[in-house]
Amino acid sequence: MINILGITVIIVYFSVLIGIGIYGARVSLKTREDYFLAGRGLGSIAVFMALFASNITAFTIIGHAGFAYEVGYGAYGYVIGWSIFITPFTFYLVGYRSWLLGRRYGYATQPQVFGGIFNSKLVALLFLVLLLYYTLPYLVVSIIGGSLAFTTISDGVVPYWLSSFIIIGISLIYTIPAGLRGTVWTDIFQGTLFLVVAVLLLAAVARALGGFTEITERIIETNPAMLQRELSEKIAPINWFSFSFINSIAVIVFPQMFTRILAARQSSNLKRVSLYYPLAMAGIFAVSTLLGVWGSIAVPGLTGKDADNIVPLLIHQFLSPAWMILGLVVILAVVKSSIDSQLLSFAHLVTDDLLPRLKRVSSGQAVFFGRILLVVFAAAAYYIALVRPAAILSIAAFAFSGFSVMLPVMIGALYWPRANKHGACAALILPAIMLHLWYLGVLPEWTTFGFMPVFPAFILAILTLVIVSYLTAPPPAEQREKTFGIFDKVFKYEEKSAEERIQPKSS
Amino acid sequence: MKFKVRLALVAVIVLVMFILHNSFWLWGLDDRVPLLFGFMPFAFSFYAGYTILAVIAMRAIITLAWPEPPADLLQPAGSEESAEK
Repeated sequence: MINILGITVIIVYFSVLIGIGIYGARVSLKTREDYFLAGRGLGSIAVFMALFASNITAFTIIGHAGFAYEVGYGAYGYVIGWSIFITPFTFYLVGYRSWLLGRRYGYATQPQVFGGIFNSKLVALLFLVLLLYYTLPYLVVSIIGGSLAFTTISDGVVPYWLSSFIIIGISLIYTIPAGLRGTVWTDIFQGTLFLVVAVLLLAAVARALGGFTEITERIIETNPAMLQRELSEKIAPINWFSFSFINSIAVIVFPQMFTRILAARQSSNLKRVSLYYPLAMAGIFAVSTLLGVWGSIAVPGLTGKDADNIVPLLIHQFLSPAWMILGLVVILAVVKSSIDSQLLSFAHLVTDDLLPRLKRVSSGQAVFFGRILLVVFAAAAYYIALVRPAAILSIAAFAFSGFSVMLPVMIGALYWPRANKHGACAALILPAIMLHLWYLGVLPEWTTFGFMPVFPAFILAILTLVIVSYLTAPPPAEQREKTFGIFDKVFKYEEKSAEERIQPKSS
Repeated sequence: MKFKVRLALVAVIVLVMFILHNSFWLWGLDDRVPLLFGFMPFAFSFYAGYTILAVIAMRAIITLAWPEPPADLLQPAGSEESAEK
């Protein structure tokens, strides 16, 4: 497998990434805003590829295909269906208003935006702690998943510890010198590579299995249950409904996604992104769904975790060794594009929202500390990925739900002037505690009324925000004006202009 | 059109999309609707159509309730770093 072609492809791939890192460092300014937000100058393609590539993980091509292998075509709608619409909608619902405040007041992170809206250091601190708390396990699980896939697809030639080291090490090569600009440029390169190779891979597997129609007819003949959602317990309606509240609405809460929205140059960039995003996500998950379902016929009999190996197995059994090289590069691209953005977000949050609480730091110092923290967090993540402590992995199981239940506070802050800091604090803390009690088995299952815990926790967050806000004093008028005055000027601009146009005529 | 009416229309679009995604009463059609292009069963082709609908829905939301900000509003309030490069 390790032949001249393979080595050449991998050297070219790494050289492009290193080149991007070197060039990114040369054009970047040594200011906090330039390093962490690319000077708020990202265009449509850059924001789109940054959001798309950052949100694609090893699960997309490996885990999801394994899920489709087990449950059939219904896996497509279950995992990505609601996301196709609601994720880009949250770019409007939360992203645009946050972007406006970011441009106006210089906010760069969620603690700054929502701490600023509520004029509360405690709200900012809660956002900081919860985001770090859920991001770390999510980051570690991404590394573990990517490293296992890398080891599997290399047929064990690259051991697990080396896979993790390569994945983290290469991410740092361009992230440390070039910051967000470096990760975004590599996202454009890696996201494009991923999309192209995924489509080619689907076509190659289809060809090897006799063609699209031929495989589908075989599925209908031998395993028609793959077509019927009603026959799969895993995607039963109550799970299907509950799952709408997990990954799809959590995306905008991920700090790496939120920051990329704030880094957009213009509002029109975000509009275009929200139109491209459904097509890209639906496309990439369609590929992994089809590979998984086809795999159930081509390589039958896999169960449990073994089903997650279906894509490497399809490549192994039906395609030439050259595809394995492309597979390795794609796995690297997919995993690194999410890990680099998570590492940078982690360093960004600590540099921008924790360090200033401890000491005064200049813009240049912030960049320096950010780079140091990147190395420290990468080393910590590598260690945790090797040791795999049970506590971290159990938090990862509900990290997505943890992000999701923070969304009501974000929406309340941006749309409801009566929401106050007391309501926000309670609505951040209480659902987080309940999620832990449910997922760690402290509370009995019946207390979720049959839903996944995220749904009752989400409703609890809404109720807590409303009730506690009403029971306590409303925010001061000047504080509300600082946020909602901006929104009135933007969203009611046309109305006011029309009224002003009518006024002179009537007088 | 008042902005509140526009927002209400956006809410209706979101509700329709949510109901369509959770349209469990259509699951009975999974093995009855003919394959699209010879390889897409209903559980799959439904979401191909849903994707197109999602783009149309987002286009409608942009037209209805996503105005461009007035230029003066984007001037940073007191941050020297926020200035455009």
